[in-house]
Amino acid sequence: MRLFGIETEYGITRDDVPEIDPVVESMELVRAHLEASFERRWDYAGEDPHEDARGFRVSGLQQDREEDDFATRDAHRPFSFHDMKSDLVLPNGARFYNDHTHPEYSTPECRTLKDLVAHDRTGERILLRAAQRRNKVLGGEHVRLYKNNTDFHGHSYGCHDNYLVARSIPFPNLVAGLVPFLVSRQVIAGAGKVGTEAQESGYVPGPYQLSQRADFMEAELGVDTMHNRPILNTRDEPHADRMKYRRLHLIIGDANMCEYATALKVGTTQLVLDLIERGAAPDCELDQPVTAVKQLSRDPDLKTVVKLVNGQKLSAVDIQESYYEAASRMLSGIDEETDWLLREWSETLSLLSRDRSRLVGKLDWVTKQWLLESFMREERIGWDDPWLTSLDLEYHNIHPDQGLYLGLEAEGKAWRMTTDEAIEEAIRNGPTDTRGGLRGLCVQRFPGQIKSMQWERIQFTGGIRSRNLDMGDLFDPQEVRRCAHIFQTAGSPSEALAAWSHRKDRAI
Amino acid sequence: MKPSTMPERREGPVDPMPQSPRPEEGGGPRRQETGSPEKDNLMKRMRKVDPKQAERYRQRTGE
Repeated sequence: MRLFGIETEYGITRDDVPEIDPVVESMELVRAHLEASFERRWDYAGEDPHEDARGFRVSGLQQDREEDDFATRDAHRPFSFHDMKSDLVLPNGARFYNDHTHPEYSTPECRTLKDLVAHDRTGERILLRAAQRRNKVLGGEHVRLYKNNTDFHGHSYGCHDNYLVARSIPFPNLVAGLVPFLVSRQVIAGAGKVGTEAQESGYVPGPYQLSQRADFMEAELGVDTMHNRPILNTRDEPHADRMKYRRLHLIIGDANMCEYATALKVGTTQLVLDLIERGAAPDCELDQPVTAVKQLSRDPDLKTVVKLVNGQKLSAVDIQESYYEAASRMLSGIDEETDWLLREWSETLSLLSRDRSRLVGKLDWVTKQWLLESFMREERIGWDDPWLTSLDLEYHNIHPDQGLYLGLEAEGKAWRMTTDEAIEEAIRNGPTDTRGGLRGLCVQRFPGQIKSMQWERIQFTGGIRSRNLDMGDLFDPQEVRRCAHIFQTAGSPSEALAAWSHRKDRAI
Repeated sequence: MKPSTMPERREGPVDPMPQSPRPEEGGGPRRQETGSPEKDNLMKRMRKVDPKQAERYRQRTGE
């Protein structure tokens, strides 16, 4: 069972004021998407970040006090918590809202990498369009949005990749199989960063590193996401039938501009989950994984080796190759997408060692390094020049006339998995084979009859009988299509729910 | 659900900065060999970036 999605928190600023109010700016940006007034629909009942996958519930998160402080400070504002969040569910099944003072776009659930990449790029377009509308109100091109993970002053924000996982896989198996892979995944998925920093402490300009997030990884495991960030987040919030599924919520990843990097990041992670499910992940347990994340990130020459518990010393590419070889043995021939991934994974690891220049336009950290080194030669400046930090930031600007990556893409130097037509389609509709598309269909067809929504449920208004469409175990693509057909053709939600219920009864 | 028996691991202090590779290890490709970005477009765009842009850029911590 493959199902994945990406949540991206964007950086937001304005160039017409010395200091912005991030609460207001993020809220106004999200609301600029709306044609009509905001209606509160998101149901937060399914969200509980205190449940830990290791089998316990924490009494508090490190961020709770800070959140309380912000809530006290924000209490004077003339809008409620729900107004501030401005949670929207879009006609493509995505969620767009203000999360922790960052506009966040969560893709609908996807089953294929092509769909996922199209929906990840759709997020950029939807935010750009919202910024353009907001700029009209402001009277100039003032709002800037960045798909990155740091402000270079010790504040990081996330790009989380999520995977549906069978609950039957013991959590310790996930940890053992995933941690070495995630520590080394940055050679493929790192977005590149000029300089080093740490959580809410000083920034040191200077040498280039692979990853934006590595500086902020402070624990191997943990339920926190804003402080003491872990390599493997243990939040147990399945957004599905809790008895059958987990949602693996990974916070270590960088936000990628390169479509190829996004596809390989999520695709190879999915292959590793397939290996873990089969009990076939390689044994690469790291002696000091948190230190290793930073050491590997800070060596763009990829020569650094890290120690395993068994005494071996391996480079990031060596670790990735161990996973690739296991995946090649176990998963080859399963389907077309798996075979594509295996080919590209192998080719990428090989090119990282022998001809990195061929990965420009495919991997962000390689592409950014190439751009910056070209600029350094032209301008005769060194890595410690603050101009390079600004160029790093602008690599991630999502305005097509400003962003450096988007400039490169416009010149045809970036590898594309999706097309502009596919992105336009993904703005209108979600994937037809996942509950994400079904959620979007309900928003399109019955917008006035939706009382509340969350990832696994839609509650419709009216009547005494249950008006819920429960999607907590709706993952079979054929079943999704059958349900979508009913909602596409029914005259009302109650008619659709009755038909869907009748169909399920007959199936039993 | 029973609490998992996974032990908490604490890491000792280690300098996370990598050491430079020894000369005999060769070193990776430090410079890309694809030439420079298109000078008329991309370099122009890069030169337009305000060197102080990142210094002014401040966000609140997110997830």
